Amino acid sequence: MIAVLLLLMATPLTGAALDQKTYEIASLLRCPVCQGMSVADSPAEMAVNMKKQVRALLERGYTQEQILDYFERSYGQFVLLKPKFQGVNTLVWILPVLAVAIGFVIIVRTMKRLEQRPNDNKYLAQVRDLVRGKP
Amino acid sequence: MNRTVLFVGFALAAALVIVLFSGLGKDPQAIDSPLIGRAAPDFALREVGTGKTIDLSQLRGKPVVLNFWATWCAPCYEEHPTLVANARAFPDVQFVGVVFQDSEEKIQKFLSERGRAYPTVVDEAGKTAIAYGVGGVPETFFLDRRGSVVAKYAGPLNSRLLQANLDKARTR
Repeated sequence: MIAVLLLLMATPLTGAALDQKTYEIASLLRCPVCQGMSVADSPAEMAVNMKKQVRALLERGYTQEQILDYFERSYGQFVLLKPKFQGVNTLVWILPVLAVAIGFVIIVRTMKRLEQRPNDNKYLAQVRDLVRGKP
Repeated sequence: MNRTVLFVGFALAAALVIVLFSGLGKDPQAIDSPLIGRAAPDFALREVGTGKTIDLSQLRGKPVVLNFWATWCAPCYEEHPTLVANARAFPDVQFVGVVFQDSEEKIQKFLSERGRAYPTVVDEAGKTAIAYGVGGVPETFFLDRRGSVVAKYAGPLNSRLLQANLDKARTR
């Protein structure tokens, strides 16, 4: 049963499914000659060639992971539009969450400090008088 | 609290300065390719003019300079005389031009007008360019005698840069 399932999974795609998967994988790849565009969206000849290559590899039964690895071996992680969660790249994922958490802690602590501050009615009265123009 | 903020701000600024400073003096065109230190991707492509197939694996045994270029690329015009002169000066090194996204007629005209000293092959579907991670032209790869990539340079080469990279390929 498992062997049949594995065989079905490894069967190369054709037709509309092949088109759809080509587009999906090409959307994950950066066009190396464009400014922040994916291979799927770029009309550049290099991107068109890369898209053809993605399609050819799918036709040969390569999986999405194998295709992304294939391009990464030539271009490095630069070619992946979504950085991998490993090495220095981990910072790209962790730092924004960390920044939000630190910001949240600062806001909570500041609010608590403001709540704890005693109401000094003497100074409030002075400010009110200044606003109203009393000497 | 203010002291903490000051300390964190200083630490972040110092880290940024160190990162920026470490980039000074580096040649931005000496690209760090993931192929460096690995076997160069093989290819068998048709030579312009003769039509015979050039197989990279058959060039093992001597250093190879693999130059990706095209006739529509302005810096390639600037670089071509350097490549021709060095190919003539170093017969122990095999230079190969790989042209992509171009027509054979234009390549022939370019070579006839500007000289040829080494074979030029056509990468018709751009597969070789993709296998080498080429992002633009000109880009040059330096291969040692065993067929491993030792350096990559993006942009037009002058003799000094070419020979500096060639030394790396010849000494291995």
